[in-house]
Amino acid sequence: MADLAPARGEVRRQLTGLRISDLLNLCGAGAAAVALTALISSQLAPVTSPLGFVALAAAIFLALYALLVSLAERGVAVRDRLVTVMVHGLAFTVLAVLVFIVVFTFARGAAALPHLNFFTDDMAKAGPLDPLDVGGIAHAIVGTLIQITIALVITIPLGLLTAVFLTEMPGRFARLVRTVVEAMTALPSIVAGLFVYATLVLALGVPKSGVAAATAISIMMLPIMIRSADVVLRLVPGTLKEASYALGAGQFRTVRQVVLPTTRSGLTTAVILATARGIGETSPVLLTSGFTAAMNSDPTSGPMVSLPLAIFQFVKSPEPTMVARGFGTAAVLMLLVLALFVVARVIGGSNPLKKDERRRAKEQARARRRTSRSKRPARLSSLSALAREHAAAPGGSTPVKHTPVEHTPVEHLPLEPSPQEQS
Amino acid sequence: MRRALALLVLAGSLLATGAAPAAADSFVPVNGAGSSWSSNAVDQWRRNVEQYGMRINYASTGSSDGRNQFKAGTVDFAITEIPYGLKDGGVVDTPPSRGFVYMPIVAGGTAFMYNLSVGGKQVTNLRLSGEVVTGIFTGTITSWDDAAIAKDNPGLALPRRKIVPVVRSDGSGSTAQFTTWMAARHQSAWDAYCKAAGRSTPCGVTSSYPTIPGKGFVAQPNSQGVAGYVAQRGNVGTITYVEYSYALKTGYPVAKVLNEAGYYVEPTASNVAVGLLGARINTDESSPKYLTQDLSGVYTNKDKRTYPLSSYSYIVVPTSAQNGFTAPKGHTLGAFASYFLCEGQQQAEVLGYSPLPINLVQAGLDQVGKIPGATDANVDIKKCHNPTFSADGSNTLTKNAPQPSECDKQGNDQCDKPTGGAAPAPGKGSTPSGAGAEPSTPAKGTTSTGGTGTAGTGDDPGTDGGAVTGPTGTDGGGDAGTAGGGGGGAVVAGATTGGGPVVCSDDTGECTNLVSMPVETDAPQSGGVGPLAVVAACLLAVGLVVIPPLVSRGAAARKARR
Amino acid sequence: MSATMQAPRVQPEVPRDADVPRPIGTRRSLGDRVFRAVLLCGGVAVLAIMGFVGIFLFLRAWDALSQAGWDFLTTQAWEPDSGNFGIAAILVGTILIATVAVVVAVPFAVGVALYISEYAPPRLRQSLISIVDLMAAIPSVVFGLWGFFFLQGHITGLARWLSTTFDWFPPFQVPGSDPDDPLATATVYTSSTFIAGLVVAMMITPVIASIMREVFTQAPVGEREGALALGATRWGMIRRVVLPYGKGGMIGGTMLGLGRALGETIAVYMIISPVFAIQWHVLANGGSSVSSLIALRYGESTPFGMSALMAAGLALFLMTLAINFGASSVVARSRSGASS
Repeated sequence: MADLAPARGEVRRQLTGLRISDLLNLCGAGAAAVALTALISSQLAPVTSPLGFVALAAAIFLALYALLVSLAERGVAVRDRLVTVMVHGLAFTVLAVLVFIVVFTFARGAAALPHLNFFTDDMAKAGPLDPLDVGGIAHAIVGTLIQITIALVITIPLGLLTAVFLTEMPGRFARLVRTVVEAMTALPSIVAGLFVYATLVLALGVPKSGVAAATAISIMMLPIMIRSADVVLRLVPGTLKEASYALGAGQFRTVRQVVLPTTRSGLTTAVILATARGIGETSPVLLTSGFTAAMNSDPTSGPMVSLPLAIFQFVKSPEPTMVARGFGTAAVLMLLVLALFVVARVIGGSNPLKKDERRRAKEQARARRRTSRSKRPARLSSLSALAREHAAAPGGSTPVKHTPVEHTPVEHLPLEPSPQEQS
Repeated sequence: MRRALALLVLAGSLLATGAAPAAADSFVPVNGAGSSWSSNAVDQWRRNVEQYGMRINYASTGSSDGRNQFKAGTVDFAITEIPYGLKDGGVVDTPPSRGFVYMPIVAGGTAFMYNLSVGGKQVTNLRLSGEVVTGIFTGTITSWDDAAIAKDNPGLALPRRKIVPVVRSDGSGSTAQFTTWMAARHQSAWDAYCKAAGRSTPCGVTSSYPTIPGKGFVAQPNSQGVAGYVAQRGNVGTITYVEYSYALKTGYPVAKVLNEAGYYVEPTASNVAVGLLGARINTDESSPKYLTQDLSGVYTNKDKRTYPLSSYSYIVVPTSAQNGFTAPKGHTLGAFASYFLCEGQQQAEVLGYSPLPINLVQAGLDQVGKIPGATDANVDIKKCHNPTFSADGSNTLTKNAPQPSECDKQGNDQCDKPTGGAAPAPGKGSTPSGAGAEPSTPAKGTTSTGGTGTAGTGDDPGTDGGAVTGPTGTDGGGDAGTAGGGGGGAVVAGATTGGGPVVCSDDTGECTNLVSMPVETDAPQSGGVGPLAVVAACLLAVGLVVIPPLVSRGAAARKARR
Repeated sequence: MSATMQAPRVQPEVPRDADVPRPIGTRRSLGDRVFRAVLLCGGVAVLAIMGFVGIFLFLRAWDALSQAGWDFLTTQAWEPDSGNFGIAAILVGTILIATVAVVVAVPFAVGVALYISEYAPPRLRQSLISIVDLMAAIPSVVFGLWGFFFLQGHITGLARWLSTTFDWFPPFQVPGSDPDDPLATATVYTSSTFIAGLVVAMMITPVIASIMREVFTQAPVGEREGALALGATRWGMIRRVVLPYGKGGMIGGTMLGLGRALGETIAVYMIISPVFAIQWHVLANGGSSVSSLIALRYGESTPFGMSALMAAGLALFLMTLAINFGASSVVARSRSGASS
């Protein structure tokens, strides 16, 4: 995920500078807060839960820190410090909670994860009474991979085609398609499963199988992918396409040689985010894939189980071993999603882009250092030039859109949709 | 321990079966769906028959879903607690057009798991009559100190604590089995509740429990959900209906329920099986309820060991080769059926269910032959290695199942032995053939000892002499004087009326009732500083920290201005 | 990186001098015509699939809708088999859960977004972005497991404190609770809208944060420089430059998080204790949501019950649709939204 702003040479200034007094203020307020909370909770008003303790300590800390800072600074600076502390606190709380969720999953699954058979066996020979060294979730891993592959075979061509259609052939019909697609991103995912069950399985007689499940997943993923891809494609500068047309290329050629390569990394991310969502959904496969404990690598016949479905079944069992298997499966699912992200980075070609960017940034920094060392005024003038350039941009919008096209397309458009597009 | 036992059972069953199913080689995969209530057993059985080359795929998506899928022809068999043709919530579920029969598959009792404590000690020997159970789950009995509960529990003085019934939020088989019983036995109370919840009456059996907003009912998904909810330490006062196995695994007690013979019994595997001996199957072919269960004989079974809320789930199997059902599939399904009716039942108890007794097995075996392609299946009950009867077809269950002890009799002071998961784990486990679960296991060294002599029974407030009263608990003040001398009282009661088949000498050692322990209140000590003092002290502490710097700052500012 | 929540481009391009490709009047080559035909086919196919799903939902819901009529919108009970059902309670419950989730998630998301875009050391920034994006992709069943096995048992203390401290705030009142009764149980504080909302909040925080971070990063460097040059503190700069610039993104991100919160199934399924009456008391036991109701009931419902569930799904769908449109029109009008 590349940042747009730095890409064009406008480099944000780094606002740091930690003074010793700041550090001392923080430490002092922290120590005082903990001490005061301990005093209050142990002697005055019993605070029973650790959560309450932390919350009280945080509140006291903020008050004391404000006080300490106000001894030396004016109100504006005090507010600045307070916000700094609060932003840090919020960010670290979120990260801590999310990391805790991941760790919690791994910890609860720790009983199952060390067994090699957990990754290489299926559950055919393991029942509720069997210990963890029998049976595993290989069938669910294989099932998930097969189902998601089929789903991708359906969604990638269809999704990208539609996204290109939306940008290349704008009009009333495209608007209708876009509206419908956007509405569908809000579809409760179990409805996708019900739809496939009612049409494919009941009406058309397709057995409950990997194909049926993959179709349900596709229906859920398709709007997400189209929406993300559409966003990326729409950000291709018109100038770029115009240049291509001006050189005599047709629409197909423009799309194939300009639009798609430009947005390659963004499109890959669109695909990956849709995949990550599709791979983790239980509800669409609940009705369509059937359930089996055995390995089934034939998606066209027989039930085929996937990881989320296996989790859902495992944790319902009264047996603690099965619940441990459920958490172990959840951990494996998360690892799979992580692997997808890594794959996205590699295939998506965002690496060369970023490398390029980093190289450029480094060169600029070096150049700046050189210039600043030799002739300071030059740097100032370059800054003001930048500012002037920006001010001239209509609407003061982001730099990218308004910078003139000069090099190969790839350099301008590190375009990727963001994860929200999956929602 | 259980695992080893399970393996033993498995090995035993393998030896016993010999090559009977193994001889049949051409098995094809068979798919089923339905009841999540039965899934634990089915999951184990499909694993056991895997070694014969049978592949049984079972999706536990819910009974109604199973029935609908069977009707639509997308599965080869369905497992359900509710037969076709019944009204669930006023809508008739029409039977499928394809030929089908019902067979019993898994039996079990609806257990009432609870979390209740008196004076900081867990109550583990609660007894409830059917009326009280219905009252609790229809919202008419709302406090644990209700007179009706006290009548069932002469040995307990329960606090004025709110009863929080925990019900299933999803559609479920245990709800269906519980409501079958309520609809049959306490129809008016059940209908009144249903009506208040906005359903049309007569309510009958339903798989999604209706709730009335504001009644204080809690609904949770899955058996795991309700059991886990009750088992949370803070949730004192909760009671739920759930499979017995969940109570065992979460370590919480279950209520003993009064049966027709006047005994309070626990839903152990043998008690449920004994109860099910009273089950009749409708054999009138012209009736729309052909082959469905009639449990009224169970509810009114006069056997002292009967657990009244016993029932079983059906497997719905096709009798005609259509909707993709073929003779090879029928062959596999038939072999699987004869497995789960016989050998499979040996594991029922370890899995938290109860074995099917002889009458139901016979009824099931009669149907196996109707499955197309299953004609060669073993339908001879003499070759059936079911734990509840012996090879000669004699009903060993009635002989071997342990009788309830006399202290479980209605009117007597209750036994002190903890129930369900609160009971100490059986040392050796039960033998595979012995359907009797925990037959008078010596409960040793539990938390229940101690405190026998600390308090006299003399100062029991408000109860007739000699009866055990726990601490009243409402004050939480920690006066141990109100704690009754439970041990003595219980022993005396047991001895005077005693003489039951179960050895009570074992019990006397532990007759120091759990609830008769000296009070250890867990309420926060409220004495001492009042809230005003707390606020004042807080202000003082903060002031001490804050004022000096403020003063110094003010001084600095004044100096700067000057 | 760029792409944030895009406005659906209903009207072509915004400013007249924006760089739009000129319409080209020449005749298209055969290849192009084939290409356009293929594109059109793709669009039609997707429209057909999506239309089918919508029509399917409507058809399945029709039975229930035609029987319930307008009462469907006002009835609180959910007893479809008795003909007594409506979405008043569950839709309100859905909105309440989503509201709690958004109210909790937004401050945290703003914190994370500001931290990453404004405070984090540049070396860490890239990895933090990756972590947050990865968190946005954690399967919802994992959150559900966490909420069910961990949070449910550990949060009642906070709920009790909130309800006793903010007793004057009606939604925080818990009927049936009595702080003075030592025998009162914690059950009145469990399975509440609040707890379900917290789990969903954890789920949507990374999503919202990721969008906000995008727009914050895009705030023009020149204006930041200007603010700093005028002597603003970092917070002053953020307040005067970054936040106003990213307002559209913040609203859009919040709206998208709201959309996801409204449709969340499994996590809510595992927490909530469904109650079919409008439950304003978010800390009290009981709540409801449409998609969790579908997941809870579909396995054991009659065909008519299924139809009623579909009708509820349709109602949720239409509501989310309206919210999406609202969000996109807001974003489209904002500054940062124009390019995102």
